[in-house]
Amino acid sequence: MQTVNNVAEPSMTSEGDVSNRTGQQPVISIRDFDFSYGGNQVLFNINLQVPEKEIVAFIGPSGCGKSTLLRSINRMNDLIAGISYCGDVRINDQSIFDPTLDVISLRKKVGMVFQKSNPFPKSIYENVVFGLRIAGRNKREELDAVAEESLKRAALWDEVKDRLDSSAFGLSGGQMQRLCIARAIANEPEIILMDEPCSALDPVATSKIEEMILQLKENYTIVIVTHNMQQASRISDRTAFFYLGELIEYNETHALYSRPREKRTEDYITGRIG
Amino acid sequence: MPIQQKNISVKLDARFSVSTTVKVIDYVMERFIKIGGIGVIAAVSGIFVFIFLEILPLFQWPEVKEIGVVSMPQREYLEMGVDQWGKKPFFLDTESNFHFLTLDTGQITTIPAQLPDSVRVTAYDYSQEGGTLVCGFDDGRFCLFNVEYSERFIDGVRELEPSIKRSEIYRIGRTGHPIESITYADSGDQKIIAVVQDTGARATVSLVRLMQEQTLLGSGAVTIDEEYDLTNQFEGTPVLLLAGTQADALLIATDEGRISYFNIDDEDCELMQVFQPFADLADPAINTLDYLFGGVSIVITAATGENRVFSLFIPANGTSRLFGHTKSFPNFTEPVTNYSPSLRNKAFLLSSDRTLSLRFATNSSIRWEAQLDYNIRDTVISSKYDRLMVLSDDSNLHVYNLHDPHPTSGISAFFSRQWFEGSPFPKFEWQSTGASDDYEPKLSMIPLIIGTLKGTFYAMLFATPLALSAALYTSQFLDRRIRTIVKPTMETMASLPSVVLGFLGALWLAPLIETRLVFIFLLIVLLPVGAILTGYCWSRLPMKIQRGVPAGNEFLVMLGIFVIGFVACWYLAPTVERRFFSVVDPVNGQVVSDFREWWRLTTNTPFEQRNSLIVGFVMGFAVIPIVFSIAEESLSNVPTALSSGALALGASRWQTAVRIVIPTASAGIFSALMMGLGRAVGETMIVLMVTGNTPVLDFNMFTGMRTLSANIAVELPEAPHGGTLYRTLFLGALILFIFTFFINTLAVTLREHLRSRFKTV
Repeated sequence: MQTVNNVAEPSMTSEGDVSNRTGQQPVISIRDFDFSYGGNQVLFNINLQVPEKEIVAFIGPSGCGKSTLLRSINRMNDLIAGISYCGDVRINDQSIFDPTLDVISLRKKVGMVFQKSNPFPKSIYENVVFGLRIAGRNKREELDAVAEESLKRAALWDEVKDRLDSSAFGLSGGQMQRLCIARAIANEPEIILMDEPCSALDPVATSKIEEMILQLKENYTIVIVTHNMQQASRISDRTAFFYLGELIEYNETHALYSRPREKRTEDYITGRIG
Repeated sequence: MPIQQKNISVKLDARFSVSTTVKVIDYVMERFIKIGGIGVIAAVSGIFVFIFLEILPLFQWPEVKEIGVVSMPQREYLEMGVDQWGKKPFFLDTESNFHFLTLDTGQITTIPAQLPDSVRVTAYDYSQEGGTLVCGFDDGRFCLFNVEYSERFIDGVRELEPSIKRSEIYRIGRTGHPIESITYADSGDQKIIAVVQDTGARATVSLVRLMQEQTLLGSGAVTIDEEYDLTNQFEGTPVLLLAGTQADALLIATDEGRISYFNIDDEDCELMQVFQPFADLADPAINTLDYLFGGVSIVITAATGENRVFSLFIPANGTSRLFGHTKSFPNFTEPVTNYSPSLRNKAFLLSSDRTLSLRFATNSSIRWEAQLDYNIRDTVISSKYDRLMVLSDDSNLHVYNLHDPHPTSGISAFFSRQWFEGSPFPKFEWQSTGASDDYEPKLSMIPLIIGTLKGTFYAMLFATPLALSAALYTSQFLDRRIRTIVKPTMETMASLPSVVLGFLGALWLAPLIETRLVFIFLLIVLLPVGAILTGYCWSRLPMKIQRGVPAGNEFLVMLGIFVIGFVACWYLAPTVERRFFSVVDPVNGQVVSDFREWWRLTTNTPFEQRNSLIVGFVMGFAVIPIVFSIAEESLSNVPTALSSGALALGASRWQTAVRIVIPTASAGIFSALMMGLGRAVGETMIVLMVTGNTPVLDFNMFTGMRTLSANIAVELPEAPHGGTLYRTLFLGALILFIFTFFINTLAVTLREHLRSRFKTV
């Protein structure tokens, strides 16, 4: 833990490289970010930039802090007592920790899909339009249109169009997760954060969701946390490898997988550490 | 090799077999739990069955069983009476001899009345209550006989020695004219006698008041104090007379079926009312006329067999007590020939030639009726209401055992309006015991049920919004550290003994609130309004200021608002009271600014210090911790995945709480409310001490109530074991049991429904 700054250096360089090479304004830009639960520091000096309409995968062994970082991006960690952080996270060059910023508008801009699907105890339809309803948009035609569009994008429409008013709990695990994605899409966010969205699903459901994620890339910037390195390599444009709270390496996915610059990255993707 | 194999298999067996200890423990515990569960069910059903068996006799009809027939010498008997133990009835024959019959042995003792030879008895009236027989003679004179039984114990067996005491012979009305009808009443300090005399022309009615000097040495001689001639004060031919049992009234019935009611007081004899009980019948003539026990109601029968009860009450627009028709009974097919009242309750015995009917006035029911195989001449109910004696035409005395322990009860007595004596209309009333023996027990369950619902309603009205909002705030918004203080505090509050709460409520809170009602109402209105306004203003403040108060500590701002609101209400209250609640005191014409007076005078309903408002506060205080704890628990148990999901979609904390957390926790919240409701329904000590225990029948906020539970606590010490009241209290317990059973069943059903609807994955 004392070697934080030393090991952070190379990752910073790699991040800088990426940014320079693409030459575009990053949507998410994380700078010198430290994070602690109580007195327990879990993230050390993270610097990372996510370009627009790309899929970035966070990989790393359990407890490496990748989920914490993800949840920091829409400030879901605020709900936990006793947290502290320093550094900055900027979305479209606007700090999310700005005291004048309303966290509600941030979360509307940054949607989130959780590891365990969490449909509300409502109908499928009401689940999808929840975001609109809480925003005070209750016009039936608008809701109908958004529900259909979102479900189609989440590749769920054909499976549920005849039972939109039945309970969301009647769906299978994969369908529920796609419903949660549809729910996030309905809110028209710019960024979608996905926290191991397929970890509880079987391979068929997983592949469906992966297909869907690839389609979503056209419209959204996606950050996905995954344990599944094949998944990361299949769908992501860039991959960030975290280890013990540090960003070890961040590069274009094929580069990271074929020519890892760091020994620890190589050890992890070849299964020697985990 | 085979041996080795065997060894291996044995080893494997041992490894995979379950040890005996585990099996035994498993077996024993399974049985133990089973027995425990069955035991609980058996205990609850046992309680239910026990209560049910206790109340069952209330709904049983009387048993009447003939226990013997005694033949009397063939004579014409005029009157029959019986001692209080029902052992030695006497019979008065036409020769003025008293025959006492010992039922056990059949032996007859005859005591002659020792009247002068010159007189002949032409009219008589026997009141079993006082044991006094008054006889009118053909020469216009009368005398009184007292039938007395002195008891002796011989070898522990009660022996009754009857004796007859005859008074002097007095003169009344027009000397020399025969007395056709006579009536007598004795209230202890006043005695009256009235007679109808045949004077050749129109029959006359005379009334005398007798005086008996009471000295230190005992009762002195009876002298005639004052005499009235009532002949000209009514119309028609008098046929029947009836003196009020308190010697304060005289009823004169004419041949046209008209009854004139005279009120008799120390100075005067005043005609109060003339009424015709059977005006609607073709033949309005009156057949019999006599008082029910207690002297407030009269039972009148018509020649056609109609029988009705008239009672004295103050009519809605009147000022004095008059007779009014209160009850009708099923007709007799033949004219009623005999009427005997019970001396214990409002039962009476009617008989025609062969029909004998035991009826009960309070609930207008026929307790028992039978067709006999002999002609009835006279009947009597023993004063303990345990024996009926019927004298037949052929001088046989039929003795019946009467077992009717609960004549006043019955479905209608408990759940319908009853027209009680002295009341101007039928009503639901609970007043189980009165000062005198002739009191009609009023056992309506309705005021108690209403009282229970009322107490519960006000308690829940106060507790529900407070407890649920507190639970929601604590679980969803409050700072975690403060939450760990609030929850145990509320649980401590739940453990406060209700007797302490009741004591505080009755002796401290009730007098305190009584004079500060306007302040309380201002608080109830202004605090929530102030809180909502503050919330609105707060949301308008810039983000920077809002962020100054850490999340979960916003209540500190509210606390300030509450203190300000409290102080404001305190200083505002007197002004508001002066401005809006001032009335002119009707007694001294001064303007008073007192909410209590204002309420009394403007709504015309009473104001009691121990009222539903106080019950709401104090019982609410007992209910709040229960509702709070369970509701808070279920709100906290809503998976964070759900609330995070909503928050991640940009819902505010309030939107998350209202749209996601509350519906998901609705089953638990509902359970919480039902637990609170169950507590409020069954709560005893608080309502006992705080309500005043008046069994009223309204939902007025400023009157008290009496609940089923408090009623049991209040009345149980007065209820003799096995008596009607005792069993009626059990009926109250059963109703309470059904209430809670119903609430619990409803709660479970709805909870399961909600649970399946809002189940979480």
